[in-house]
Amino acid sequence: MTSTATDSTVRRRRAFSPKDRLTLTAFVGIPTAFHILLVWVPAIGTIGLSFTFWSGIHISDIKWAGLQNYNNILTGTPVFWDAIWHNVIWLLWFGLIATPLGILLAYQIDRQIRGHRFYESAFFVPVVLSLAVTGIIWNFMLQPGGFVQGILGRDIGNPISIYGNYDINTYVILGIASWRHIGYIMLLYLSGLKSVDASLKEASAIDGATEWQTFRKVILPTMKPVNIIIIVITVIDSLRAFDIVYMIYGSSTGWPILGILVFQNISGGGMSMKGAAYAVILFALCIGPMISYLKQSFAEDVK
Amino acid sequence: MMSEQNNGISRRSVLKGAAVGGLGLAAGGSLLAGCGSKDVGPMKWGGRGLEESSVQWHEAVKAAYETATGNTVTLNMNDSNAFQDSLSQYLQGTPDDGFDWMAGYRMQFYADQGLLEDVSSVWDSIGDQFAESYKIASTGSDGKQYFLPTSWYPWGLHYRKSTMTELGLDPENIANWDDFMKMLEATKKKGLIGYALGDKGGWEAMGTFDILNARINGYQFHVDLLAGKEKWTDAKVAEVFKYFEMMIPYMNKNVLDISWEGMRDLLLQKKCGAMMMGSWFSGDFKTLSQADYDDLWIVPFPEINPEFGRDTIDAPIDGLCVAANGENPEGGKALVEWLASKEGMQARLDSGNTFTSANNGQDTSSYDPFQNQQLAVMNEAKYITQFLDRDTRQDFANPVVAPAIQNFLRAPKDITKILEGVQAQWDALPAL
Repeated sequence: MTSTATDSTVRRRRAFSPKDRLTLTAFVGIPTAFHILLVWVPAIGTIGLSFTFWSGIHISDIKWAGLQNYNNILTGTPVFWDAIWHNVIWLLWFGLIATPLGILLAYQIDRQIRGHRFYESAFFVPVVLSLAVTGIIWNFMLQPGGFVQGILGRDIGNPISIYGNYDINTYVILGIASWRHIGYIMLLYLSGLKSVDASLKEASAIDGATEWQTFRKVILPTMKPVNIIIIVITVIDSLRAFDIVYMIYGSSTGWPILGILVFQNISGGGMSMKGAAYAVILFALCIGPMISYLKQSFAEDVK
Repeated sequence: MMSEQNNGISRRSVLKGAAVGGLGLAAGGSLLAGCGSKDVGPMKWGGRGLEESSVQWHEAVKAAYETATGNTVTLNMNDSNAFQDSLSQYLQGTPDDGFDWMAGYRMQFYADQGLLEDVSSVWDSIGDQFAESYKIASTGSDGKQYFLPTSWYPWGLHYRKSTMTELGLDPENIANWDDFMKMLEATKKKGLIGYALGDKGGWEAMGTFDILNARINGYQFHVDLLAGKEKWTDAKVAEVFKYFEMMIPYMNKNVLDISWEGMRDLLLQKKCGAMMMGSWFSGDFKTLSQADYDDLWIVPFPEINPEFGRDTIDAPIDGLCVAANGENPEGGKALVEWLASKEGMQARLDSGNTFTSANNGQDTSSYDPFQNQQLAVMNEAKYITQFLDRDTRQDFANPVVAPAIQNFLRAPKDITKILEGVQAQWDALPAL
């Protein structure tokens, strides 16, 4: 780490030719300008909008609302707490079950267990599909008159309730989401594992480490950059979940989740400020853990 | 209906309406120049509904219009729900010139925002073809017209005549709630779903709520409730849900899994006795086969409280608006004028469309028995309401009432808490 630091100090001292400067300015400046224009301006605009009453159409109709939208959401909108609950379950499920499963799978495939090529491609296929397509596929499978109901011997007049049953729909949706997420994590981790020096594993095997010890003490620390990416992806994917739920339930409130509330309020008539407030809450939930985690891991790097 | 709502509008919205009116006048002045010529250039029509029956009549009517006028129309068909969800963005972007839409609050909101073209001139030209109540339903808060009615349909009990005959039941002779419960019981005994309901979309069950409230508490209470003049915590509303709950044992067990298409399929495949639905879906029966369509029938929801009888019905008016941001608003006006006129509606009816025309001069001799029955069901009622999501604020109907009814269907015993939540959310809405 120290060597990298000295490198950059040396680099900074080097004099740039005017041409270098121009190139640098162009390469850094243009993307930055676009980034600010397309990401930061709308983001700050959304945050501002969340403190107003606005139908979303004429700028002149904006009225200052202070914290009223947030107050309305936190105290007057029971569906918000349902949505938070669903997002939390989603996060826990991904964090504790789906992501570890993906890692485990990657590890096993990397060890070239029998049939590893088959497993690899089988779990990889759902990753190619967009979440919206995933939602459509499972909708066809599970809806009344669909494949699963047919196997269970239920016709449309005598179906079992899946999406409408609060006792099971959460697990059904998380199962569908995991179907894709596990393969995605597997893929990311597998590419990381391929780059781990095989001699490390050999060395720990010679030292008499068990499979689990090798994984925990040797592989996992070596994989740190990939681990960070996976944690970030898991958290963000859980919080911004939208596509599958929207495909299954439409825009409405069958299984509320923050992403759906943002969309429903902004797209319907006249509630864009409430949608903006939901978006800000979602943003705060995403950015908080993200910053603290990244800070922590960078701090460890410097040490 | 509309006059009730107008009583409730705030000073702010009146002022806003006046401002929009001013804009409308200014625009009207510059547009007068275009009125003389018949050539209005190519125009676009945004249609709702991707079902075969819907696409079919849109295409037939488009062809008829092109033949009649020589104008060129580009028809863009959209998924009904998705179109509804994205209308605000659609109208602010590059909308089609004329598009399918609904009367009432759903039109007024966009008219207030200046996104709809004033079509008063079209009303001046063909307004005498419509009843006065339709003009009121087409009028924005600034007193100008923004909507042209084309068709209307009743929300009632739909059933298959053959199924009911097999069961030995006659829904046309249900006198009251007890008879109705007996009918549901008899249907259930034969292994069928007594009262098919889907509420995945969140709006389907509003039809049942509307009619129960109108039957039990009357038109005035229903209208006042939706306008915020009555409280959802009123014992009268709890009474409505008590009746609603009595129907749950006769419903399919997957109400929250299916949407209106699921309900339609239950009736199509003879899995249920009756269901509360708007007659628009009848076109899908006709697409499937004439025999299925001939088997379909509708009766008004039975009387519950003798004081009100069967005096109210949800009979939403569908029609057309012209987008203010369209490329060719004059073309849009010409298009909607023709589509809503007797001639245009005749072309639509000739294409086999199963709706009933909103045009009072329409020749109804071509109506089939089901269309005549729709008319009879609607004409029987003294009061016409639109539908819950058209009769109250948009930021209330779908975001608040829809999940409340879904939660009720999930856990009927929580109704007191649910209704308190609905009222609290109404109270928390920003002033219009």
